[in-house]
Amino acid sequence: MPTSPPRLSRWSWIHRIALSILGAYALTWGLCALAVVALVANGADFHEAEHGVLIAAFLVYLAVFLWSFATPRLSQVWLAVGGGAAVSMAIALFWQHQLMQ
Amino acid sequence: MNWTFRQAMTWMHTWLGLVLGFVLMVVFFFGSLSVFDREIDRWSIPQTRFEPQPMPSFDQVLRPLMAQIEPSAVEYAAKMPLLHDANKGPMTPRAALPIDEFWAYTTHRDPVLLVGADFSVPLPRDPAAHNHIHARATIDPRTGAFLNDDQLKVGSAFFYPLHYSLHLKWKNAGYFIVGLAAFIMLAALVSGVIIHRRLFREFFTFRPRKHLQRSTLDLHNLTGVLALPFHFFFAFTGLVIFAASIYLPLGHTVLKPLHDRHAAQESARTGLPQTRAGVNAPVASVDAMVADARRRWSDRGMPGQVGFLKIHHLGDTNSYVSIYRAGSDRVALVGEGIHFQASTGRVLHEDPPREPASAVHQFLTGLHLQHFEHWLLRWLYVAGGLLGCVCIATGFVFFVEKRKQQHARQGSAQARVVDALGVATVTGMLLATTAMLLVNRLLPADLNGAANWQIGAFWGVWLISALHAAGRNGPVALGQRSPAWAEQCQALAVVAVAAVLANGWSTGAHLWVTVPAGNWPVAGVDLSLLTTATIAWAAHHKLKRQPGMVTAHTQRTSVPTEATHA
Amino acid sequence: MHEWMPWLLAPALAHAGMVWLALAMPTHWQQVRQTTTEPSDRAVLGLRSLAALALSLSLLACLWLDHPSMAVLVWVMWLSVAAVVVTFGLAWRPKMWRPWTGRFRTHAGGEQPHHPR
Repeated sequence: MPTSPPRLSRWSWIHRIALSILGAYALTWGLCALAVVALVANGADFHEAEHGVLIAAFLVYLAVFLWSFATPRLSQVWLAVGGGAAVSMAIALFWQHQLMQ
Repeated sequence: MNWTFRQAMTWMHTWLGLVLGFVLMVVFFFGSLSVFDREIDRWSIPQTRFEPQPMPSFDQVLRPLMAQIEPSAVEYAAKMPLLHDANKGPMTPRAALPIDEFWAYTTHRDPVLLVGADFSVPLPRDPAAHNHIHARATIDPRTGAFLNDDQLKVGSAFFYPLHYSLHLKWKNAGYFIVGLAAFIMLAALVSGVIIHRRLFREFFTFRPRKHLQRSTLDLHNLTGVLALPFHFFFAFTGLVIFAASIYLPLGHTVLKPLHDRHAAQESARTGLPQTRAGVNAPVASVDAMVADARRRWSDRGMPGQVGFLKIHHLGDTNSYVSIYRAGSDRVALVGEGIHFQASTGRVLHEDPPREPASAVHQFLTGLHLQHFEHWLLRWLYVAGGLLGCVCIATGFVFFVEKRKQQHARQGSAQARVVDALGVATVTGMLLATTAMLLVNRLLPADLNGAANWQIGAFWGVWLISALHAAGRNGPVALGQRSPAWAEQCQALAVVAVAAVLANGWSTGAHLWVTVPAGNWPVAGVDLSLLTTATIAWAAHHKLKRQPGMVTAHTQRTSVPTEATHA
Repeated sequence: MHEWMPWLLAPALAHAGMVWLALAMPTHWQQVRQTTTEPSDRAVLGLRSLAALALSLSLLACLWLDHPSMAVLVWVMWLSVAAVVVTFGLAWRPKMWRPWTGRFRTHAGGEQPHHPR
């Protein structure tokens, strides 16, 4: 049986769980939006792009979630996941705006 | 947090698996029942106990319905005031709402036909919005007669929605809870593989003669690993089904501009009008359009029946009829849509074969939603689903077994709480299900509000089981087994048999009538209930025989008395 | 009467494949043969080859009867069912598969006096 992890405060656990579930979800949103816009910009049909991206989405979410949960330093997770979500979503929205002109 | 990846996965698997496991049990169990949802419907509504029917003639049977179908009174009361602009004039009465769209849906397993209509709202606040009040009805396709609204389709209208939404509609909360549970299922499967050190060596390992904790873990591992593709695919495809509409609705939120632009381009390309022209026109013979569609499918090498039919912009020159093929012979839903101009019957557009990503998407959703005609595969799906239930249930039991001695010494109630929740989620849920079926057969056929009585019985019995589980499991706090398990198994056996007897008593369709007649939907439900009763009785018997108690003496010798049994 | 018989092929082959796969593992070899010796390397190779053959033929049997998209699903499900059945069989009646070890040999050194698990 593996040794138990060190006893941390309950808030620390809640923080980790919430960040892993919600943070990875946010990053997934950003990456998916960016992927769809990128595909449409390269000539793909919107629904075709959406279908393809959404299939990959949950696998990406799963990988990011597992990584987030296991990473020792939560500050690292915040940076990667929070920062990544913000950046990818911003690029996606900006690019969409360009495409609509 | 100073831990290894494996430790992290262990912690996550244990705690998130435990908490979401209670939801997953419900999702997996009612998902398994939903494989045969329409058969359960037939058992619960005796008037529908006849052979599945193909889509009936539109001109003869369905056209008259369009005049008879009425908007939902409940939805009218709730939504009309929000959609209607009072400044523009008085609110149109419910019976006078103009019908905008009409659809009919059937599969190869349906004796009855589901029809629906969308009524438009005159003088709306926002003309560009989706201003519809809906209607839904079930009809007998042989005669066109409406089925009583109040007859609850226990399978497709109760167990099935419970499976994907927990009947929690407020802000789609239920969908999100199920979605989170499905996602944690994926994480639990992957983490389970990571922490299971001897996955291949213990592939076929089951040691029932060892102490309960070991044999439970063996059973948990084997039901998880041996059906891993099934569990993974079902959780995954379940998420994919609702991805675009609920979990990652990109096209309705952040990417709405691109989505709407695409919809407009699509409409222009296909020639299918998105709005009404405002000029009246009659609807030509839809039967002729259906015949044309079926001929075209045949020419393409995929002959088939109509699965879904919809008329858009009814009564207008822009009206068109969309006819889709039922996907009974392959793992994909309805498809191969052909769209006809309603006034002339001319083909406006044939849906082209799907592009790669969309085809994969359709395969994945079709894999989960199972419209195909393949009875063996359906039963194999039930087997997989039940293995999943065993995996989750053994997870609870293992959690409690591993900790209850320690918690008894520490005076902690945690093991007791988890055990009570476990009993409520496993045997309690089964009791609620069988009790609902029993009440369904005991209620008079024409009772007003019969649906609510059945739903009340379901939740009520579940609540009582949970209270019973909590009240009876004091022994767990002392490191012993709760008697609630055995007691609820006994009750389950009794209720399941009673449900079978009630079916025979209320409809005359005893097993000795239905089996020789080959009435498998009804016989199947009865036989499943009897199988459940047999297993429950055997479990009750076995639990009563084993002492299940660890005294101070046996603790010191570290050989629990449970070890003696096979 | 006969139309359902081809449908038995796939599960029978899947079951056979899983039995041979299990027998190639020392623990289960010992369980089934009631011995403490392990299978020889040639036995393990032979058993695994038989297993691979049986499982592949099971897939072919499924494809023979169904549209490919459904055949693959049926096959995967049969593999799971067969593995579960074999696992329970090994737990309660392992000796019934003794004949399946056929002429495969144990490790050099021959059989020891039998030692029931």
